[in-house]
This record gives sequence, C-alpha cells and structure tokens, in this order.
Amino acid sequence: MADSLLDVRDLVVTFPTRRSEVRVVDGLSFSLESGEIAGIVGESGAGKSTAVLAMLGLVRHGGTIAGGEVLFGGRDLLSLPREELRHVRGSQIAMITQNPRQSLHPMLKIGRQISTAYRSHNQATRRGGMRKAVSMLEMVGINDAERRVTAFPHELSGGMAQRTLIAMALSSNPRLLVADEPTSGLDVTIQAQVLDEMWDTVQQTGSAVLIVTQDLGIIANYCDRVLVVEKGRNIEDAPTRKFFRTPEQDYSRRILSLQRQERLPEPEEGHGSRQPLISVRRLGKEYVLESGEVLTAVSGIDFDIYRGRTLGMVGESGSGKTTVGMTLLRLTEPTEGEVLVDAEPIGALPLSAFRSYRSRLQIVFQDPFDALNPRWSVHRLLREPLDLHTKLTASEKQERLDEIMDMVGLPAALGTVTTRQLSAGQQQRVSIGRALITDPDFVVLDEPTSALPPAARAEIMTLLAELQRNLGIAYLYISHDLTTVEYLCHDVAVMYLSQIVEHGTRSQVFEDPQHPYSRALLASHLFQAPDHRRIDREIRETLTGEIPSPVDLPTGCYLASRCPEVVPECHTRPQELETLEDGRKIRCWRVSEGHLVWPEEA
Amino acid sequence: MISSQERRSTSERNILLWVGLVIVGASLVLAVLGEALAPYSPVMPTGNISEPPSGQHWFGTDATGLDIFSRVISAPRTDVAIALAAAALSLLAGSLIGLVAGFYRGFLSELIMRISDVIQSFPVFILAMILVALSGRSTFNLVLALAFLYTPIFIRLTRAEVLSQRSRTYVQSARAIGASELRISFRHVLPNSLAPALIQASVVIGWGILLTAGLSFIGAGVRPPTPEWGLMISKGANSIILGEWWPSVFPGLAISLTVFGYAAVGNALERAYK
Repeated sequence: MADSLLDVRDLVVTFPTRRSEVRVVDGLSFSLESGEIAGIVGESGAGKSTAVLAMLGLVRHGGTIAGGEVLFGGRDLLSLPREELRHVRGSQIAMITQNPRQSLHPMLKIGRQISTAYRSHNQATRRGGMRKAVSMLEMVGINDAERRVTAFPHELSGGMAQRTLIAMALSSNPRLLVADEPTSGLDVTIQAQVLDEMWDTVQQTGSAVLIVTQDLGIIANYCDRVLVVEKGRNIEDAPTRKFFRTPEQDYSRRILSLQRQERLPEPEEGHGSRQPLISVRRLGKEYVLESGEVLTAVSGIDFDIYRGRTLGMVGESGSGKTTVGMTLLRLTEPTEGEVLVDAEPIGALPLSAFRSYRSRLQIVFQDPFDALNPRWSVHRLLREPLDLHTKLTASEKQERLDEIMDMVGLPAALGTVTTRQLSAGQQQRVSIGRALITDPDFVVLDEPTSALPPAARAEIMTLLAELQRNLGIAYLYISHDLTTVEYLCHDVAVMYLSQIVEHGTRSQVFEDPQHPYSRALLASHLFQAPDHRRIDREIRETLTGEIPSPVDLPTGCYLASRCPEVVPECHTRPQELETLEDGRKIRCWRVSEGHLVWPEEA
Repeated sequence: MISSQERRSTSERNILLWVGLVIVGASLVLAVLGEALAPYSPVMPTGNISEPPSGQHWFGTDATGLDIFSRVISAPRTDVAIALAAAALSLLAGSLIGLVAGFYRGFLSELIMRISDVIQSFPVFILAMILVALSGRSTFNLVLALAFLYTPIFIRLTRAEVLSQRSRTYVQSARAIGASELRISFRHVLPNSLAPALIQASVVIGWGILLTAGLSFIGAGVRPPTPEWGLMISKGANSIILGEWWPSVFPGLAISLTVFGYAAVGNALERAYK
C-alpha cells in the first residue's frame, strides 16, 4: 500500500444548501498503482466528477473539500501549498474533460496551446515546444501534424479537439491521467480511434489512468479495474472481469442487466408471403441550402417492415437515420420515392387526410424532456391523442389512461405531475405511453434510450421488447448503440452517408458482417464483454479520417476515402445495393462480385 | 451552489421586489379607493389658496385652492387605469400577432415585423402626441394610442420565444399524434411563449404612467380639472417661480415612485424567470 501511486482516503466534499450542507463526495477511498487503468462508474449526480476534481485539489464554486487525504507519490496533495500543487497538476497529473472544444482557448492555435502547457512545466525553447507539439499530435494519431499545429480549435472536429487535449495532457509525461467522460458526444468509430490512441500512448509512457464514465463498453474494453460510486462513496471496487461476471452490488447488477438478458427469440421464418406493413421505395430527401448547394440527407432507401418485427437502423450521426424515420411519418416530406402503409401509398394524401393515419403510425423521440410539453401534466399529455382520434367518453378515456400508465410502468400517483418532476426514465415512459395509447401498428423509436442513464436504459429496452411481444407492434429502431440494437432488432440496416450499405438479419449483420463499413462499425463498438477486448485484437479494423460532408458527395463509393479495402475503381464506380445469395443486401461491388472474401472469425 | 456574496445580492433583489410589490399594490388600491380615502374632494376648491403643507393640508393647496394630497392619491384612477388598460390591450394584441409572426413564417411574418420596425422607429412621445391630436382628446383614445405604441414590444418578445419554442421536439410530437397547426400554435406553443411578454408588461405599465402624465403635462392628455399627476405638475409649474414648490413636487414624486415600483417588479420577475 505504501508505494501506491495514488492513495485517496476518506475524501469528503460538501456543498452548502439553504439549510445545511450536502456531502456530494462522502468518504471515498481507493488506491491506484502505476500503469493501471481504472474506471469510475456511477449514475449522474453520484459525485464522480466532483471526486476526481477534488483529488486535484479543485472544487466547483461554493464547495469545500471537508476532509480526507489524497496521497500522490507519498505527499498529501490537499495540504500542499498552492504553487506546488499547481506544478504537480500540470506536470505529474493531467486532466482531460468532456466537451473538448470548450477546454481549448478559442483564439490560440493548438500548437501554441500544447507548447505553452509543455513549457510551463519543462525547460524548453519556443521552437522546442513547437516540436513537442508536433510529435505529440502525431502520437495521438492526427494526420499531417505539421500543418495542424497552426489550426484554431474551431477548425477541428470534435474527435480532433479531444485528441489535441489528450496530446496536451500527455506532453509532460504525467504519471497520472484523469479523463472525465473523454469521448461523450463522439461517434463510435471516432471514439474507438481516440481511446485506442490514448491506450497505446499510456502503454508507452507507463502512466496510470483514471477514466470517469457511464459507458460500460469503455470499462470493459480499456480498464483493468472498476470503482462503482453511489452517493459519493465507492460501493464496489473490483477487477473488470470479476465486475462483469459477478457484480456484488444491486446497483452494479442493475446497470449490467441489459447485457445479461437473452436476445429476443428469432421470429418464425417465411414471413415473405405476408404483406409488409411498411414499404419504403427509393426514398430520398435533399435539402437546398441557402448557398444553393444541395445536401443529400437520404438517398435510394428501400426496405420493408413486417408486423411484430423490428428493423434496426444503425450508423453514425449525420448518416440520415433520423430523416428516414421522419419521412415515414411525414414529419418531413421526401423529395423522391414513396412510403406505403399496407400497400397504400401515403405520400399522395393531403396532410389533413393523412392525419387519420397518425393514430396508427407513432414515434418516440430521443430526448423525452424536450418531447413533452413542459406545462402539461402526465394525464393531459396522455389524453391528447385520445381527444384527437377517438370519441370516447371522459370516463372511458380515464380508464384507458390508467391502463396505459400501468402498461408502461408509471405509478398512478404520477398522473397529475408535470414532466419536470419526473426522472428521465419516467419521462420516456410517458413518451412511450403517448405513442401507444391509440394502439398503433407501427412505432418509430428514434434513439429512445440515448439520453437516459444506463439503469433506465436497460429498463426501457426491456419494456419496449415486452410491449412488442404483447401488442404485436412493428418498430423501426434507430440507434447508434449496437448493444441495444442487438438486443431488440430482428433485422438490421446499416446506414452510411445517406445510403443503406448493408441490410440483413441480425445474425447476418452482427456475426458475419460483409460490408467494410459494417465491419468497421462493429469493430469500433465497445461491447460490454471484457473477454473480447478491442485492444487485444491483432487487427483493429478502423476507418481512417472522418465522415465526408453530405453536400459534396463522391461520385463512386461514398466510403472510398475511408475504406481500408479501397481500390482505385471504387472512387469512380457508383455502387448499387445488390442482393447476395443468403438474402442480405449489400452496397459494395467488391463483396457482391466476390473480390473481397473475409477470413473466418477466429 | 451559491456563495455568500451571491446570497447577499439575492436578498437585496428580494428587498427590491418587495418594495416594488408594495408600491404596485398601493397604486392599485388607490386606483380603486383613492377618491374615497381622500380627506377633501379632489375637484372642489377648499378656499385656502396656495397654502404650504400643514397639518390641515398635508401636501398644501394649489393656486385654485385644491387640496394637493387628495389630488395626488386620487390620480391613480386616471394614470394607473389608463396605463393598465393600454398594457393589457397591447399584451393581448402583441402576443397573438407575435405568435402568428413566429409560428407561420413567410410574407405575413415579414410584413408584421417591418410595420413594427416603423412604429418603433418614431420617438414614442411625438407619435403619441400625433395620435391623440388626430383621434381627439379622450381617455379612450389615449388608451388606444398607448396600446398601439406598445404592441410592437410584445410582438417582438413573443415572436422571439415562439421561434425558439417551435423547434422544440414537443411541437414535432404534437404533429406526430395528429394535432392541427392551429391547435399546436395555440395549445402548445403560445402558453410556453408568454412568459417574457408577461414579465415585460409590468415595466410597460410604468412607461404608460409616465407617458400619460407627459401628454397631460403638455395639454395633450386628460382634461383639467381631472386629478392627474402630469396636469398637476403643469399647473404647479407656474407658481414654482414664486417659491411655491409643493404643487408640482408631490405629484412628481408620486410619478417617480410608481414608475420605479412597476419597473422593480418587472426586473425581479425577469431575473426569477432566467
């Protein structure tokens, strides 16, 4: 114990309230060895971020570090004089926060910022600092670092800004790196790139890392140890594998529950004879920008959805997933193609006539707080669809309200409160209830769990699966979270830059992806399985660079600029969605013509 | 999490709010009961001409022997009532027009905003004078003129809030369950967009009092001998040169205090809302 790099004992941080004070961090203790990577998990508000700030002697306005010790290399950081603490902070302990762009000075070039951070803790000339900046940017995987050092923060993408912060943090070779939600808000492929880079770098430098996150995928793939924090104290401290296999605490079991559930049973085959509920043909949506340029959000989309089944639509942000969902419900009008409901084209109907379809086709939005009128009570929100579509009497409506609240798991007592007083999970239940109260055949689920904390996420996914089983609803499930897609969906369509690039059954796409993009997307996803860590794989399939702009689409394959399997012809040859022998559809000529055959998964 | 310094300024703000509320409350009570509480009739001369403040006439009497105190506390029936009516009228018109301008964008919206620009580009006082001169000097016309001048303020405030509310997801959600645009705009968007306009209303009442008094001062407002602060100042102004300060100073103080009270309430509400 004596030679631990970091030893936190009984840390307490308090904030004053009107009457007394609240202990946000309440007796947190743990230690960390050199070279170790530990993750801190816990719900939002559990005191994770406050605790790591306090370890650096920092506390948000109004708070006080009321007790405890933080021994770093044998010295108590909390009793060091200010100046000395400041020196330790930059040179031996470095910090990366979420929101990388806000952490960079907007008016200084990034090279200068890295150089300044480096030179304030190391003897170096201006030129030496710049050289260091270039080499650090190269180390974190930024192409063309020589040119990038002269970029301003607003010229960087989110992923590059986060890498710049990591480069700055690691420039002085710190012995401890603290990362608070380092990749929240980044797309999965970028997240994997950034975390890989960070992992590789600390393997070289031997720094210890403390990652604060709510994402169990990050924990499973990159951390050696897990600390579970609840109400300001650590309730569990276990090696990662043990945590995933035999969690000790209820809270841990709760956040792990989704992953433990059986996948939904594969539906019976032979649905082909039945008529699809929803058919989408050559759907396209273009926006004309003020500059006159054309932005292609969606192009050439074809798919069918059958009763009682779920089609998952995955892809990075900006790939057009949400636009597809919106056009199905005519919340935006497509510029090309058509949508059929029970073989009936709905696009030609005037909007007023289409309104009667609204009770059959519903949607659940991503952010439940924003999607519910903040001034309305739960009852009033749930009653609105009944008022619009039915001629029930007041008591029949009340009956239906009680029934639906029970169905989505809302206590009857919550009927009179406004959504502000509900938790995010409860708000999403209200949204689901509002969508289901008119007994729809089809519901678009647009990232219904991505704004929720992990425990609520698991509960909502279970609820959605149960509702489908009992009511036979068809879902279009839009998400970038492959764990939930794998749990809920029967079929999966992978979207990239306005197109579907691969479309097959869940097992086809998840177990044997064929399109290079699907393969990279799956490889980038941090599944919550510590026995199959991404960093242990020999080849980590990744895409280089970032998603191109949908304004200036390439002539050939849209993935060509990032694809690891690219050949010159890809850049010129337009790609068609071809059906393979096993029934899946794919948009890659090299796969469909048999030029690209993937090795069997080991 | 608030520091001690912030806490102090919070309590200072609370004091301001309470002072404001007391003034506003008093002005409303006097608007109803002012004349009944007055020791003398505000329009019948007492026979004591130009007397300085004393135990018998607290604020003194003016050149025609009217009791100043009685007139000062009777004036809210005119000043506050006109300002209240004008503010209510402009709030109603402004928020409805603002809703239309914000929710249904297009030619009509542009037209509304350009007309607002034109109205607001004139000096308020001059425009008010012209309006009253054209429509004739009456309390009713005064209310209409003030309401016309203040409507663009509420159009702008409501429109700005509607623009931000209409992009919220709950609007899409209402559309998705089949609500008509009319229903969405009135049932969902309008109630969520009213707060800024309601807060501003308090400040506008203060301005209305000032403008009513100002117009009466130059003879374009209510007619004498109605008890009205602007008229009283104007009448008293003639005798200031003789050293008789009381006929104009007391109504002047009443105006300042009342306008301050409404502004303080408006400010406090605005901060609480943010």
